[in-house]
Amino acid sequence: MTKDPLHTKFCEMMGIEFPILAFTHCKDVVSAVVNAGGFAVLGEAMNTPEVIAADIKWIREKVGDKPFGVDLVLPSTAPPAADLNELLAGIPQSHRDFAAEIKKKYEIPDPKEEVDLHQWGGLNQEISRAQLDVILEERAPVFVSGLGSPAFIVEAAHERGIKVFGLVGKTRQAQREIKAGVDVIIAQGYDAAGHTGPIGTFSIVPEVVAIAGDTPVIAAGGITSGRHLAAALCLGAAGVWTGTLWLASRESDSDMIIKEKLLAAHSDSTVYSTCVSGFPMRITKCAWTKEWSRPDAPRPLGSPYQMLLSADYIQAANDHRREDLMMEAFGQGASFVTSMKPARQIVFDMVEEALATFEDLTGDDE
Amino acid sequence: MAEQRWINAVRGFDPEMAGKQAECDGGGPVVGTRLASRQEFSGVLSGEYMDHGDPPWRWYLMVDLQRKPAGYEQDSVWCESNSIFLV
Ligand SMILES: Cc1cc2nc3c(=O)[nH]c(=O)nc-3n(C[C@H](O)[C@H](O)[C@H](O)COP(=O)(O)O)c2cc1C
Repeated sequence: MTKDPLHTKFCEMMGIEFPILAFTHCKDVVSAVVNAGGFAVLGEAMNTPEVIAADIKWIREKVGDKPFGVDLVLPSTAPPAADLNELLAGIPQSHRDFAAEIKKKYEIPDPKEEVDLHQWGGLNQEISRAQLDVILEERAPVFVSGLGSPAFIVEAAHERGIKVFGLVGKTRQAQREIKAGVDVIIAQGYDAAGHTGPIGTFSIVPEVVAIAGDTPVIAAGGITSGRHLAAALCLGAAGVWTGTLWLASRESDSDMIIKEKLLAAHSDSTVYSTCVSGFPMRITKCAWTKEWSRPDAPRPLGSPYQMLLSADYIQAANDHRREDLMMEAFGQGASFVTSMKPARQIVFDMVEEALATFEDLTGDDE
Repeated sequence: MAEQRWINAVRGFDPEMAGKQAECDGGGPVVGTRLASRQEFSGVLSGEYMDHGDPPWRWYLMVDLQRKPAGYEQDSVWCESNSIFLV
């Protein structure tokens, strides 16, 4: 092979070796992937500005001048504010009874800590704005908006030397963000863990590539192996954005029960459901999802009612570390996560498998 | 409905946007989890807006909702300006 197929325009832009991007909530995974020659982004949506500032400093100490990113889930819609008691009163008795039936059937204890329902409504534009301001102040090398458009912040970020990436689920969002000067577009398909849109990875990636011009497009959703990486590059992507892949890495701070669930998981282990929050999201199957998908189950409520209903279950499952109850976001590529490897090894294995795939295709083993 | 959550926002009215038919590729973080979700809306922009911070992050109020996620009870939604598509 004359050209290294893994040395993409994204690698050129970032000065990195491999076009592998890790999304994680764990700082140790970020530093391991970046130091292995990949790129990594820390999810900070649930953290205060102070924690975000401290995390950026911590990562800088571990990776030196190498680039890394910080991700926020910028909202793009927000319901008018409402009173919590009004909301609780809005949950129909039939749904309360159904949740109580699940609790009884699975002998779910009460959560150890009371669920702070008052945090509902706490995540809003003002909090996101304060989180964003600290990223600008700290001049993190890259800011990633994991959901809403980062267009309004592109100029301010660029003035501070910060690159801006936008994660999209639709081509028209990509078009808008590219026009606003976003540096990299991550096209996320239906196979993805968590807040995936309705379009499959194999369809959205080339469609976004077709309109992106020189802006690098990164493929996301169900990508967990070197063969996926090779396929993404063939679709025109300049790299892959991966979440599930790192959950069972040695460095990951995920609960061991979740790690073991992931090692046992396959493409059919997840559901795309509204039963947790009232919003559709891809999560692992568990007692809660099983019961809500019964034909005689009530229809899940909208947001935030369904979340108010499931909050006790989620808290109890985690507090008591009940394997049958716990849930996490996994993508459909889960089958290829089969051992608990160091993150560095995951990067190298992916690179090796992708290169071998290209060699198989070209009949070239040089 | 009191919107005490947004005490620092600068509010205003944009007559150019008022009455426009629009779609919004929306969504947001799911409180109580570390996850998020996408949501789609369509309706009419009232023209009311809120700006957060500097540079301003602008949000418009969408009313008369014709499309909203199943179970979304409210009859209006705030939409981030860059996620709005006029139709
Ligand atoms: C446990 C978990 C939590 C996630 N939380 C976020 C988040 O806070 N912000 C975000 O932008 N994406 C989040 N994602 C989605 C990832 O950014 C990414 O799009 C997704 O994992 C890609 O699909 P894959 O898991 O199949 O690789 C999360 C993914 C996982 C697995």
